[in-house]
Amino acid sequence: MSGMNKVSKLYIEAVLESGIQKAQSNLLFTRKTELNAESGNISLLRTTEDVSLSLTGITEGRKGSVSINKTDRNSIEKSIAELVEIIDAGQADPANEIAEFQQSEEFSRGSEEPDMDLMYTRLNAFLQRSSSRYPNLLLEQVILDHTARYRFFNNSNGVDFTSMRGAYNLMVMFTSKDGSNTSSFNYAAVSFPDLSEELHLAGGLDRLMQQSTEQTETQMIEGSFVGDVIITPECMGGFVHTLTGYLGDHSLVTQVSIYKDMLGEIIADERLSLHSRPVSDELAGGYFFTSDGFKAGNSTIIDRGVLKTFLLSLYGSLKTGGSRAVNSGGNYMIDPGDTDFSEMVKSVKKGILLCRFSGGNPSSSGEFSGVAKNSYYIENGVVKYPVSETMIAGNIKDLLNSVKHISKQTVNDGNSVFPWITFSGVTVSGK
Amino acid sequence: MERNILRKYANLFSGYTELRLQENRTSRISVVDGTVMGNSSSSESGVSARSYKGGSWGFASSPETDSEAIEHVIEAATENAVFLDSHLEKAMRQLPVSSAEGTWDYSTKRSVVSRKDKIDFAREVDSYISQKFRKLSTRTVVIHNLDMEKQLITSTGSNAYSMVPRSIMYAMLTVDTQDGPVQLYEAIGGLGQFEDVFARPSDYYSRIDSLYEHLLRKAEGVFPEPGISQCILDADIAGILAHEAIGHTTEADIVRGGSVAADYMDQTVASPLVTLVDFAHTAMGKTCPVPVHIDDEGTPAEDVTIIRDGVLKSYMHNRESAMEFGVTPTGNARGYSFSDEPIIRMRNTAFLPGTSSLEEMIQSVDNGYYLIKSSNGQADSTSEFMFGVTLGYEIKNGKLGRALKDTTISGVAFDMLKTVTAVSGEMSWNNAGMCGKKQMIPVGMGGPAIKCMINIGGR
Repeated sequence: MSGMNKVSKLYIEAVLESGIQKAQSNLLFTRKTELNAESGNISLLRTTEDVSLSLTGITEGRKGSVSINKTDRNSIEKSIAELVEIIDAGQADPANEIAEFQQSEEFSRGSEEPDMDLMYTRLNAFLQRSSSRYPNLLLEQVILDHTARYRFFNNSNGVDFTSMRGAYNLMVMFTSKDGSNTSSFNYAAVSFPDLSEELHLAGGLDRLMQQSTEQTETQMIEGSFVGDVIITPECMGGFVHTLTGYLGDHSLVTQVSIYKDMLGEIIADERLSLHSRPVSDELAGGYFFTSDGFKAGNSTIIDRGVLKTFLLSLYGSLKTGGSRAVNSGGNYMIDPGDTDFSEMVKSVKKGILLCRFSGGNPSSSGEFSGVAKNSYYIENGVVKYPVSETMIAGNIKDLLNSVKHISKQTVNDGNSVFPWITFSGVTVSGK
Repeated sequence: MERNILRKYANLFSGYTELRLQENRTSRISVVDGTVMGNSSSSESGVSARSYKGGSWGFASSPETDSEAIEHVIEAATENAVFLDSHLEKAMRQLPVSSAEGTWDYSTKRSVVSRKDKIDFAREVDSYISQKFRKLSTRTVVIHNLDMEKQLITSTGSNAYSMVPRSIMYAMLTVDTQDGPVQLYEAIGGLGQFEDVFARPSDYYSRIDSLYEHLLRKAEGVFPEPGISQCILDADIAGILAHEAIGHTTEADIVRGGSVAADYMDQTVASPLVTLVDFAHTAMGKTCPVPVHIDDEGTPAEDVTIIRDGVLKSYMHNRESAMEFGVTPTGNARGYSFSDEPIIRMRNTAFLPGTSSLEEMIQSVDNGYYLIKSSNGQADSTSEFMFGVTLGYEIKNGKLGRALKDTTISGVAFDMLKTVTAVSGEMSWNNAGMCGKKQMIPVGMGGPAIKCMINIGGR
């Protein structure tokens, strides 16, 4: 891939030569080696190479972009001609800008090439261990891949970034079956820098598989109550995604965010701190620069309950007058607390251990509701039984202010690090 | 795309092989509060091959489409299959052989509408909304087009070309209330390129007027009472029920993976009023939202009657699952991008209409809900499902009452369908559906209105 940043610069020159005033190029090469297992058996080896080139241009405040997966001269010339047409048809907006000059940098993390034999060995061992240790568990799909991504960002202000990231990714989807009793499916997605460890040790995978075998017989909760919900690390990402959705460009530009006037204000319990760390050494995933051309940094979004930053891009910041975030979000981490997980369970009088949440898209007002999947009923400090047909409902604003405990323990899935958190005041309804 | 260019590579096949050349083209225009915020297009094309040896699959793809690249992917796919086969001890199995040939081109024959005219179209719709509905706090109009063009040959003799476009306009309206913003959106359009789907902006004003009326009522909406209730599910929600709750559990790969439907073949799983079909390309004499004539394994696509008169009758298959289940492949194997291997996917999944009228069904409910629009949906191997509901009304003594705030409904589909006591005579399609099973892919979902008991979330 050496020299591709020079090619990327040539794209900028070609766009400018067409009469476009400001130009930006995002070039991505992806090389993937993927082993698939279906129904517990390795079934497919997939090797793919792809390229993605996104060209953005601005003329007189009018912006447009074109994406292709080709890099030959004809395709580039055709794309630039289309870009000119798109920009000409557009509408001027002073918020359409490109990143200012920054020092050129090259970044690299992880392996460029997969260890194919070790991938096969690790996956095979995982399948064999799973079938012997959990005979009632059906591995519906297992995908182990190695992906190397080479990114080249350039713009007409002289920004010139290059990065390579290589990582292994594992996705496991499973169900347990005992006679005619079937559990809900569950899944885990984990990334790691190398294959030094057995796959079942990744993230919380083995715990989830063990839980699945307990979930072939479930009970329904009678009636409804307001109680505690312990959200597991695997389930936390969905709620964080909901929260950060209110902090991004669209919510703030359209002024529909429930947090639009809350920067610097307390929006959560003082024990809650949320970070976005795309350049953390703790994670296999992440990114070094944003898609609009800024070197990425780690940030604290909520610091001990106080909202410290929105997640505005350059466009969002110019449109709203707010500050541009130092990254594009993602790679979230929540600080651990001081309570042991077992103590958290003991402190629940009546509630749910929420291991997976199948929820409707959260409303613009922060209301959420959905089904508690692969989850357990807790009563008087004891995990009683796995539940079915149980729904929970609440409001994200209220939820953040109703933290009871945060666990000492955390789970790192390679893209995020979350603890268990007990929230109170959640509506739980059964039959 | 130049047609019929793959045949000359068939002599490079070694054993069962598919060779697919594909281009997906998208265009997106978004207008937010009168400003053109999104103005982009994309094109993704390439070639892929998949080979089968001794029970193992090899797949390879390349964005390049010249002879060298095509020869390379055939060779790489074969090598990948050989690599796995050499490591695995699988009994030699023969995939079912079938073939089909044909050309299906749904591209427009009209003059091409320019980018500027498409933007003007979106802005005119936005302007109508802005001038007529002053209470809105924000509004968004999006026009999204997707063209999927592909050609395929297989070692079994199939040779197919298809160009299947989709054009959708989304209108999202928001009002502020004391409890925060309240939103509703409408997706308009379907099969075809922009030129064939959208004529004049004014054609859609009555639907936007109706959306606004619903939004104002929703702004004063209430939470439903949580628990099991008598509900009328309108076509949009019946469609997502057909796809998510039943459809996924009856995909043969999900059945192998532990779906509860594995135990229900030829058993009563629903009221005798319920018949559910995954249509390949034509339903009740009309072309479906996502017509599939030959799937990406070269199998002629056939309708699959999943439930007939309440009895589970069939799963959806690709070649391999059909071999394992001892049935004929149904033509359900599809990949979204050139670099995606074909997997079992639904096409156009719908409940068939019954004989009741929607008005009579509502009148027959003393205390319940009429649920109209959904946001998203998920289902489970147990057939337990969850759908977000963005528009619904109370039913009190046979009449519509107050609107509902956003909520969710859930249930176990194979239990819930036994509570169906009426099915309306008219059905409609949701033309904007995307399914996210490993790869995103367009699907059609449809149905009539259905009267049933269902668990509704609330506070």
